Amino acid sequence: MRRTWRRCALACAGMLLLAAGARAATEAEAGAALRAAEQQQAEAARLRNRWIPAEAALKAAREALRTRDYDRATELAGRAEALARRSVEQAREQETAWRDAVIR
Amino acid sequence: MRPRSSRRARAATLLALGAVVATGLHPSRAEERPDPAADLRAFQAHFRDRFPQLPIAEFANGPYAMDAGMRQQWEEIMQFPPYDFAVEEGKQAFETPFANGKRYADCFPEGGTGIRQTFPYFDTAAGEVVTLDLAINRCRERNGEKPLPYQTGLMASITAYMAETSRGKPFDIRIPDDKRALAAYEDGKRFFYSRRGQLNFSCASCHVQAAGQRLRGDVLAPALGILASFPIYRSEWGSMGTVDRRFTSCSAQTRSEPFAPQDPGYRNLEYFLSYMSNGVPIAGPGTRP
Repeated sequence: MRRTWRRCALACAGMLLLAAGARAATEAEAGAALRAAEQQQAEAARLRNRWIPAEAALKAAREALRTRDYDRATELAGRAEALARRSVEQAREQETAWRDAVIR
Repeated sequence: MRPRSSRRARAATLLALGAVVATGLHPSRAEERPDPAADLRAFQAHFRDRFPQLPIAEFANGPYAMDAGMRQQWEEIMQFPPYDFAVEEGKQAFETPFANGKRYADCFPEGGTGIRQTFPYFDTAAGEVVTLDLAINRCRERNGEKPLPYQTGLMASITAYMAETSRGKPFDIRIPDDKRALAAYEDGKRFFYSRRGQLNFSCASCHVQAAGQRLRGDVLAPALGILASFPIYRSEWGSMGTVDRRFTSCSAQTRSEPFAPQDPGYRNLEYFLSYMSNGVPIAGPGTRP
């Protein structure tokens, strides 16, 4: 009997955790994700290495935020941030790496 | 107390060690100093070794020098060159006076005829690279006319006419002994070899490492002589296009956001590429698939 109760409690806890994970994003969370993406994209612009897909994702995220689709805005902003971060890494890496490709 | 000779030897050793350490801290200082002439020799030797059957003039023909089938098609196309209309339009525009009575010819040496091979050049007074397209628009503005859009249209037609008057003249690009000119050259070189965009391609990825190979249906042109045929009528575009149009579309193909036309970055790239093609004859305007 005690084992059954324990199993029930564990199942309930698991369901609660899943529900918490699947809950809708808030406006504040979407806004924060967008700001993080914009920060990375601004750095990419400073390094003159913006990627087209990063800008497209950022634009779509802004539109999703405007239409209050916070889940979509958060997801797109996350994608834009990842792409912009990679473009920044590429620009920094290429500051010296390009010399290895020079015909000598 | 140590003998004086011993102290001197110790000091000399310390000095030598210091020099070694200092050199070790900057191992690439010497190679970072731009040496365009050495770059040119290495660049052209690379393509001569890679395509030993091609005389240097053939590099102006890009993919048509690389692939017999494409060359045959091109020779048939050239019976009625698709850029002829642009040359005609460009000639007419070139010879038509501006509203103030002056002409394009008044803005250029030799009346603008047979000078394409000397562009771009480094303007030591302004401290910047001047392309033919930029010089055309500055000429217009000095004479009270609106600048032309850079990528296609009348700009492509005027440069097509000017290139036609230089056909066969080898590229003759100079890099003056001026820190700013060397910096512009080095910036163009850096752009050419730097990987960019989501696809992580540099200009060199296609036009050095993969020159002559196929990328889907296209045969990739070698970087040597790659600008000799500009402006071009491109079948893919269905119209004429300038160097700016090509740089912009190349950037977008790597999923990198292009610079604005005539951005100093693109002008410096054109400067580097044209200098690397010194000796390759002008073959513009041209056609490309």
